[in-house]
Amino acid sequence: MIKNETKNINFLQKCFKEYYFNNFNHLESPLDISRREFGFMSFDSKMTRHISFINMGQLNAFLIQNVPAGIYISNSYYDFPTFPINEKRLIGSDLIFDIDLKDLNLPCQKDHTYYICKYCDNISNNLPSSCSICKSTKIDSTIIPCEICIRNLKKETKKLISFLVTDFGINNKSIYVYFSGNNGFHITALEKDYFNLDSKGRTELVEYLLGKNFSITSLGVTQYKNNLKVKIPISGLSYGWRKRISKNMKLFNITNNNLQKYVNRVGGYLLFKKEVENITGKMGVKIDPYVTMDVHRIFRMPGSINSKSGLSKVKCNNLDSFDPFSDACLFEDDRNVEVYVKTKLEFRFKRKKYILDKCSTTVPSSVGIYLILKNLANLI
Amino acid sequence: MGKDDFAKYPFLNEAGNFIKETYFDLNEFERPEFKHIIEKARKRVESEVLKGLVCTEFEKYDLELFAFLISLIIIKHINIESITKKYSLFEAMRVEKFLTHDLIYQTNSIKRDLLISKIFHELLDLQIIQFDRQRNIFKMKISDYLSRSTLFHELEWKLINRSVDKGFVYLDVEETVRLVRNELSLLIYNKIKNMKITKIPDQIKLEADSIKHKVIFPTPVQTKNLKFPPCIEHALNQLNKNENLPHSARFLLATYMLSYGKSIDEIINIFKNAPDYNEQITRYQVEHLAGKKGSLIQYSVPSCSKLANENLCFYTHECKGITNPIQFGRKRLQRRND
Repeated sequence: MIKNETKNINFLQKCFKEYYFNNFNHLESPLDISRREFGFMSFDSKMTRHISFINMGQLNAFLIQNVPAGIYISNSYYDFPTFPINEKRLIGSDLIFDIDLKDLNLPCQKDHTYYICKYCDNISNNLPSSCSICKSTKIDSTIIPCEICIRNLKKETKKLISFLVTDFGINNKSIYVYFSGNNGFHITALEKDYFNLDSKGRTELVEYLLGKNFSITSLGVTQYKNNLKVKIPISGLSYGWRKRISKNMKLFNITNNNLQKYVNRVGGYLLFKKEVENITGKMGVKIDPYVTMDVHRIFRMPGSINSKSGLSKVKCNNLDSFDPFSDACLFEDDRNVEVYVKTKLEFRFKRKKYILDKCSTTVPSSVGIYLILKNLANLI
Repeated sequence: MGKDDFAKYPFLNEAGNFIKETYFDLNEFERPEFKHIIEKARKRVESEVLKGLVCTEFEKYDLELFAFLISLIIIKHINIESITKKYSLFEAMRVEKFLTHDLIYQTNSIKRDLLISKIFHELLDLQIIQFDRQRNIFKMKISDYLSRSTLFHELEWKLINRSVDKGFVYLDVEETVRLVRNELSLLIYNKIKNMKITKIPDQIKLEADSIKHKVIFPTPVQTKNLKFPPCIEHALNQLNKNENLPHSARFLLATYMLSYGKSIDEIINIFKNAPDYNEQITRYQVEHLAGKKGSLIQYSVPSCSKLANENLCFYTHECKGITNPIQFGRKRLQRRND
């Protein structure tokens, strides 16, 4: 196994080096590069942070020399980006969002999730308590997203954009959507109004998007000593979540009277509350909260390769037509590689369908990179 | 702006200019005919710092304006940090009442706009826009709203519970004014701190000393013999200094003390030193966190990483290896046992 790992890593390092050498222009030049913190993940999963570059040329030299598995850049701008976090002196931060497959809990997910024993590489399709062969309890999982997954990720991304534009007033042109390079989408909003928002303020935005902590009091519905009281707030129900919820309940031209009738019709205060909770849960955007809340996060750099898949983080100019398995695969297929596939697989890659058995096979190098990084194949 | 406005909003520069224009001399307050102003100031201070009641009495503008000035001098002379903070907070609450009333009932739109411009735009650097005069609705940018609302802990202030549209939050008058209470309080606090008085008239000094003697100091929470993690020590020290702890720090302190095994009454006692302490509200909130009220969920102590994110972490070498403040004691004990 160690022999395999070394072989895999040597191969991947060579491919990554060629990529950054030949396609450095794929990396998106960040705004104000000298104020940003960079971080790099090595092929043995070690993270090095607090690095900065004056220009892209300096970054280029670093990449060729060090060949990292992952390149990360802060969404924040600092006076001293190389200093420890408490001493960096934060200037401001772009708004960032992460929509990941793991947060969508789609029913199809179980059909294309693979559980891999960390010890003997045995693969099963159901989560085992221990490996059926070596009994090890250390199990990894990996997903090959299907078309349904991608469609739902896009739907969620559009939902987020709608919230950002309609509720937060962010100009559509200031919102940039990227495929994360693996199982999701990254969204960056460059909006000066939110640039100086601290972590607490960002947490409020997150809760707003998730639909978390909505209080039915804000609709004017309260209960005191088991008596229902309905009084619509002066600021009305015409905007934001209040509007979303009332529209979902098909309540139009709401008055205290018809809202009270509605609450009684659904079965009273508690059942009304439950219904509102269902609506907020359903209508909220399933973002990873920690990504947006944390102002000191380093985020995968646009144009860089995602070391969990070999696909690149690329900008999606047209989300509808975007196909991650062809538009984000930027490795050139100038050679084939021989790999041992650990389990039976069926997937689409670069507009071609692959049906592979658990055996040795020859595939284009980009497919080989994908399968090795997904931990579903070893280089022979 | 009228002279009544100077008396209601005495921190405005115009109010200061008005006082200057009267060429008044502080020493004149030694004269018996001004005793009633000192008496009024004393009552105002006593009501706010001793009884915890907002003084909403409003007589003649000049009387009110000078009474405010004298009350500031009294507070300055008392020179106790917790009293200065408490007075500033209650004066801000007094201003809040006048401002709310004026924004609702002032029918002269020029006067009303001027009030908005002077207090919100110039003094607080907050751009509020009148959205609906009939219903008295104002709107402000989400970022302006959040930079203030995150200091509050009630669910109603969460952005999700607000009317939000195209980057703006819509608030009624009371909500708009409540949002700036802390800033108004800070304005008054800074006014007291920056006052430079060479000689205070004996009559004022006498009143100030008499109030000072009546002040009952809350008992500081003893932390010396108990070993709390530095984040908790910091929160307790802040409370002992009568600082107004942010919601997140209060949440940390209460959940930590609950996990530590302190009773609800003991925890309420800790919060007695907060300048805005109200036993009924504190009891409800602590009981809520303990899972005895509201959602009946017992809240857990926030993790070290969450605290670091909220600037509530004061890491020392003793914190090494812990991910939650509740592990602090256990790790120490474990190390001692090893």
